Amino acid sequence: MKLQNIWFVVLACKVNLYILEYSIKYIFRDKYKNIFIVIVMSLLVALLAATLFISNSMKAKYNSIIDNYPDIVITNQKALRDSTIDENEIDKVLTLKGVTSVVARVWGHYYFLNADKKFLILGRDEFETYFNPLLNQKMNINKESMLVSKDVKKILNDNYYKKYFNFIKSDGMIEKVKIQNTLDLDTSVKNPLLIIMNKDLAKNIFQYKNSEVTDLAVSVANKNEIAFIATKIKILFPNARITIKDDLRVHYENIYNLRSGFFLTIFIITFFTFFIIIYDKVSGLNSEQRQEIGILKALGWRVSDVLNAKLYEGSIISLLSYILGISFALIYVYVFNAPYLKDMFLNNYNLLPDFKIAFTMDYETLALLFFLSVPIYIAATIIPSWRVATLEADEVMR
Amino acid sequence: MFTNKIFKLFFLSALFCASLFSYPQISQDIKDKKIYPIGEKIYKSKCSNIDTAKFKTYDALVSSLESKKSCGDLNKNHLQALSLYLWDVKRHNSKIYPKLTVTNKDKCQVCGMFLHHYPTWVSRINYPNGETYNFDGMKCMFKFYFNNKEGIKDILVQDYYTLKTINARDAYFVVGSDVYGPMGHELVPFKDKKSATTFSLEHKGKKVYSFDEVTEHMVRSLGM
Repeated sequence: MKLQNIWFVVLACKVNLYILEYSIKYIFRDKYKNIFIVIVMSLLVALLAATLFISNSMKAKYNSIIDNYPDIVITNQKALRDSTIDENEIDKVLTLKGVTSVVARVWGHYYFLNADKKFLILGRDEFETYFNPLLNQKMNINKESMLVSKDVKKILNDNYYKKYFNFIKSDGMIEKVKIQNTLDLDTSVKNPLLIIMNKDLAKNIFQYKNSEVTDLAVSVANKNEIAFIATKIKILFPNARITIKDDLRVHYENIYNLRSGFFLTIFIITFFTFFIIIYDKVSGLNSEQRQEIGILKALGWRVSDVLNAKLYEGSIISLLSYILGISFALIYVYVFNAPYLKDMFLNNYNLLPDFKIAFTMDYETLALLFFLSVPIYIAATIIPSWRVATLEADEVMR
Repeated sequence: MFTNKIFKLFFLSALFCASLFSYPQISQDIKDKKIYPIGEKIYKSKCSNIDTAKFKTYDALVSSLESKKSCGDLNKNHLQALSLYLWDVKRHNSKIYPKLTVTNKDKCQVCGMFLHHYPTWVSRINYPNGETYNFDGMKCMFKFYFNNKEGIKDILVQDYYTLKTINARDAYFVVGSDVYGPMGHELVPFKDKKSATTFSLEHKGKKVYSFDEVTEHMVRSLGM
C-alpha cells in the first residue's frame, strides 16, 4: 500500500514533456502579450526588491554605527549648548557601581575653508580603549603627525597640502601637522572625512585648556543596568546631557520610520498594480481561450492535463519575471549603487553623507516577494481555466 | 641654630623623596576601572618581561622603571598606571576565571531553557572529571547544588555589575530585588558585600546572603 502511494506521488510529480511543449508554444503564440506581462511583473518585483534592499542595508548600517557607540555619553552643557567637560570628572563616574570604564574623548569638527569641507577630528591616546574599533588599531603616529582618510587625503592633495597641513586655531595661530599615512575605512564608518591624531594635538588644535575634553564615554558591563546608571549620572551632573545608546537607536529609527511611510506607499501602489493584472486574469477567459480548452477536451484531454498545461504556463512566466526582477534589483542596487532611488532615503539632515550601499543578502525579502508574486500569478492562471475545463466540451464551444 | 636648619632641610628632603614615589592613595574603583587597564596596555605593548618579584617596595619599582627606561619614555600618569598595574595586579597573579560563554545549543541542566538568550545570568558547576553543567540562573544552580553537593570542583557565577566570573562560594546574593532573571525572582550574585549592599539599596533588595546562608527552603520559596 505504502509503495503504491509513493509511486502515485512520483507519477503525479513527473513533468509531462508533451504538455510542457504545448504550454511553451502557447506562450509564444501570444508573444507580445506575454512579453508585456513579464516586463511589467519583473519591473514591479524589481522596484519592490530595490526599495527593500536599500532600506535593509541602511538599517544594517545604522545598527553598525550604533554598535560602535558608547553605552552612555556625558556631554556638559552651558546655556543649554554643548560645552567641554573636565577630564577629572571621570573619577566621580568611576565610583558608581556597574560602570566598567570611562574614557575622556576629544573629538570635533574642523572647517576647511578652501575646499568648503568639514573634517571630523578624532583624538586618541595610545593606551586607552575606545568603543570605536577604528581607534583601537595600532597606529604609527606621534605628537606631530596625523592619519587621514582617503577622501581627506584627496581634498588636501587638491589644495597642494602633500606632506603636511596647517590647522588654523581659534587664536589665529597656525598648527603645522605632518600627514603620516592614509586610513582605509570600511563602509561602516559614518563620516568618511576623518582625521585621527594624538589627543594632546587635537586638544591644541581645538584650543582646549589643560583638563578640558569634549565628552565622557561610559561603558557599562551589564546592559540591563544602563538606564539606571544613566539616572545616577544625571544626579551627579544635573547640567549635562546624557545620551544612552538605546535612545540613539530610537532616534535613528524615528527618522527612518518617517521614510518607511514612503516605502509603504510604494509597496501598496505596486501591489495594487499587480492585483489589477491578477484581477483581469481571474475575471474570465475570452471566447478564443474558452474555445481552445473546449477543443482540447474534445480531443480527449482530461481536466488534469488542461490544468497541468496552465500550471506550466503560469510557472514559466512568473518564475521568469521573478528571477529577472530580482536580478535587476540586485544589479541596480549593489552594482550601480541605486541612483535616484537612494536619494529618497537620505534626508536633508545629511545623516549619511556619501552613503555606499553595503551588500547584504536579504533572504526574507526574497521569500516575501516570491510568495507574493509567483503562487498568486500561477493561481490566477489556473483558476479561470479550471472553471472552463470542468464544463462539458460542447457547452464550452457553444 | 644652624644645625637646626640643616636638620629641618634634611627632614624636608627626606619627606619629599619619600612622597615622590610613594604608593598613591587612589580609591580601588578608580584603580580597577581606569588605571589597571591602561597599565596593562602599556605593559603589553612596550615592556619586555619585568620580574616584579625582584622589587621589595613600590618605590623601588617606580624608580627602576624611571631610571632604566625599560618601557620607553612615559609621562607621569602612564608611569604611575604601569607601576600600579605591575605592583598590584601582575605581582599577585590572582586566579582569573574565564568568561562564562554558551553556545546556541546549551540548555539549563535543571529547567531546560536555552541559555544564549540570557548570557548575563549563566552560571556553571564544574566537576573534577571534566563534567560541566550550565544553568540559566542562580535558582536552578542552587537547586542542582542542594541535590548533588558531593565532589563539586567549583561553582562559577557572574558578578551582576561587572559580569566577571567569580567563585560562588565567595559571592554574596541579593534576594527580593526588582531585577528579574530568566525565571522570575532571582538571587543576584555579587563579588563583594559592598556592591551587594549598594545594589540592594538601589533595587529594593530584601536581604543580602553569603553562599553558606542560602538554604534550599529559601530557593524554593522564590518560585519555580
